[in-house]
Amino acid sequence: MSGQVVALSTRALVAGYERDLPIVRGVDLDVKQGELVVVLGPNGAGKSTFVKAIAGLVPIHSGTTALGSLDITAVPAHEKIRHGLAFVPQTENIFGTMSINDNLLLAANILPKEKRARRIADLYAMFPDLAARPSLRAGQLSGGQRQMLAVARALIVEPSVLILDEPSAGLSPKIVSEVFARLKQINETGVTIVLVEQNVKAALAIADRAVILVEGRLRHEGPAATLGDDPIVAELYLGARREPKTVTP
Amino acid sequence: MNPQALMDGLITGSMIGLGAIGVTLTYSILRFANFAHGEFISWGAYFALAVSSALGYLSGGLLTPIGPFSFGWSLPISAVVAVALTGGLALLVDALLFGRLRAQRGTVIIMVMASFGAALTLRSLLEFIFTSKPAYYSKALQIALPLGGGLRATPDQMLSLALAVVLVVAVHLLLTRTAIGRSMRAVSENQQLSGVVGIDVRKVVRTVWVLGAGLACVAGVMAGLLVQIRPYMGFDLLLPLFAAAILGGIGSVPGAMLAGLIVGLAEALAVQFVGAEWRAAVAFVILVLVLLVRPQGLFGRPE
Amino acid sequence: MSVELIGYGCFFLTMALTYAIMCLGLNVQWGQTGLFNVGIAGFVAIGAYVSALLTTPDTANRFGGFDMPILVGWLGGALAAAAIAFLIGALTIRLRSDYLAIATFGVAVTVQLCALNLERITGGPFGIGFIPRPFASLAGDPLLFSLFNLGVLIVVITLLYLALERLVRSPWGRVLRAIREDETAALALGKSAVKFRLQAFAIGGGIMGLAGAVQAHFIGFIAPENYLPMLTFQVWAMLIVGGSGNNRGAILGAVLVWGLWAASAGAVAGLFPPGQQARAASLQIVMIGVALCAILLLRPRGILGEEKVVSRHLGKLSSALRNDAKPATPKQ
Repeated sequence: MSGQVVALSTRALVAGYERDLPIVRGVDLDVKQGELVVVLGPNGAGKSTFVKAIAGLVPIHSGTTALGSLDITAVPAHEKIRHGLAFVPQTENIFGTMSINDNLLLAANILPKEKRARRIADLYAMFPDLAARPSLRAGQLSGGQRQMLAVARALIVEPSVLILDEPSAGLSPKIVSEVFARLKQINETGVTIVLVEQNVKAALAIADRAVILVEGRLRHEGPAATLGDDPIVAELYLGARREPKTVTP
Repeated sequence: MNPQALMDGLITGSMIGLGAIGVTLTYSILRFANFAHGEFISWGAYFALAVSSALGYLSGGLLTPIGPFSFGWSLPISAVVAVALTGGLALLVDALLFGRLRAQRGTVIIMVMASFGAALTLRSLLEFIFTSKPAYYSKALQIALPLGGGLRATPDQMLSLALAVVLVVAVHLLLTRTAIGRSMRAVSENQQLSGVVGIDVRKVVRTVWVLGAGLACVAGVMAGLLVQIRPYMGFDLLLPLFAAAILGGIGSVPGAMLAGLIVGLAEALAVQFVGAEWRAAVAFVILVLVLLVRPQGLFGRPE
Repeated sequence: MSVELIGYGCFFLTMALTYAIMCLGLNVQWGQTGLFNVGIAGFVAIGAYVSALLTTPDTANRFGGFDMPILVGWLGGALAAAAIAFLIGALTIRLRSDYLAIATFGVAVTVQLCALNLERITGGPFGIGFIPRPFASLAGDPLLFSLFNLGVLIVVITLLYLALERLVRSPWGRVLRAIREDETAALALGKSAVKFRLQAFAIGGGIMGLAGAVQAHFIGFIAPENYLPMLTFQVWAMLIVGGSGNNRGAILGAVLVWGLWAASAGAVAGLFPPGQQARAASLQIVMIGVALCAILLLRPRGILGEEKVVSRHLGKLSSALRNDAKPATPKQ
């Protein structure tokens, strides 16, 4: 299912909120078109900062990010979506005070006028739960529905790459499997997906490939199918070895 | 209540309301209480004064009163120019001061302090250019017409009220029905997410400045037409503006207008019962009451 | 050196030091605690009026004149201002930070209005005169008199400075700074964070009241126009120039800005024709306003900057709090 064309890449990416405190410390990553890649790693490894830096929400100190052959390192966050890079943040990823329909309209705004209504209709067809009550305030949705709305909103512009920061956070196991099944479907329509996850098992079940980030560096990568048995995953997640940072008093 | 006090209250209230819309918008989108907002009212009034005097100088015919009103075509024309100039002034202040502080990730309080400095600078600049002597758009006197029920109003007053209503409805529709309005609501709720969904936050910020300053300018022209033009006119309205913005609920345009009317009517009542010299304390009393009883305001969400 | 020059020097310094007291008060609120007060003039006025009421001789047509000792007046002025600050703080400190700013602005407007309109208490627009001055018996010898007055101010400032330095370095002061620097620490402290902030706000307000009282007794005469928003602005400029969070900076800033202010007023008086003086005075305010904004943009920490007094132990404590509160985010 994954072609050979690179959809998203980073080169020697160094990023962090403060100049003298890089959290991502030089990451090279290639994601091929149509691939579903999950980014794993212990708490504080910089997974979230890594994808936020790609999305333009965390300052990049050095290195580059590219979408296909287009360098998007310096493209401001609000223009990345125009180049086909959609991002779903971990929390507060919908506008809770606005209706479902307004949430979708907002995202559709960067499409040409004549395309907007059609794309919104497409998305409603894909997410019938949302179509049932378009004027409902998004803040009143359940956790799983919010996640769906956030994904629907991201898909409106038909992105080539969709990045999600811990979509399973705060959801019950049943809802997590629903959300992940949906992500897999979306991936199968050709959308490249990069997923940051704490929920290792569920993520590995749908991913093609997993990469492991430790202390801001890429530590390990491999096909998702075999990585579950890899001792390094156990080491990182079962606490066999802890990061020195978290043990200092 | 004396019907005339009602009319006075409605008129003051609509000026406060127009100003408070700007305060509430800047507050909810730029996230700080802008102490310089009152100066947009004064600058708007003086811009219109300067332009209308210039127009009158070029063509005396523009000064001939239109129909029942006290002013000629020079005033509406200059008011439109003044709205644009005041919007430009707001953009200039943002480019020189607030925008730079935002880029430095200045805290809310640094922004408030800067707005305080900007307010003093702008006001004193007006005093320097125009002196503190009161000025007027028109020397024509108007007779108040009976409206029934003991209520009287001059044509100027009725026009101002109608204009205020039209503007509030227009701003409300802009916010709820248009793409830029949706973007403004989105930025006020979550700036980072707005960027993620493709909204250019800088453009929204510029829109908010122009809109807020434009409405303040209209309020200033109304105050100049119905009362007088002074460098301190905006400063004197500042506390009522804040009281109205908080009473209405930060971010709510209809709330700001309604609360503006409430503050205006309360002031008119206080003038009747306590005396005109205590007018300025009314807004403070309302502010304290709101903060005590319902800090999120009439239409606000609790934080 | 001529006697006049020394006399003027004493006058200038004494005046500057009264502003330095206000600045120290503001430093407790803003510098140490991060609370924004836009109503300094109001708190200063409360102190001045209360002290004047307590110490002036009984006056016809006016409430009071209680003829009490000057020190009682000072204490009363400080307590009254602290009480008002406490009430306003209790109302707003738990809310958004700029609500406090708006409310204090309201206090200044309202105090100004009361001073103007409560003629039976405040003397209305004409204010209160014949406020007793310290060492009035020396008034015959201007030089000695002004030297003694300066001496009084130096003693007050020194005592206040020492007390505040002690306070800053006490556990109380350290907690205050931790609350200001670190939202998580503030949240972890919860209700008591509000209590600490409120205490700081009231103490700062009290010091401003004291400043107003001391200044009133030094000038001997007060009126509402002494307490316009301009005063608030000047004190802010002083603290920002000196560096917020730094008590020595607060004093230095007061002397420096007051000096600049007096010098520019002199220049304005000399350069502009008599008819244009009011106009020129507003230009002076424009310059100070621009300077304030420029400092905020270019040197937000002031000229002297802030002293680092938070103990290492506390630094660790707050980072430990952070790790507990939000282990998942790498940034915090």
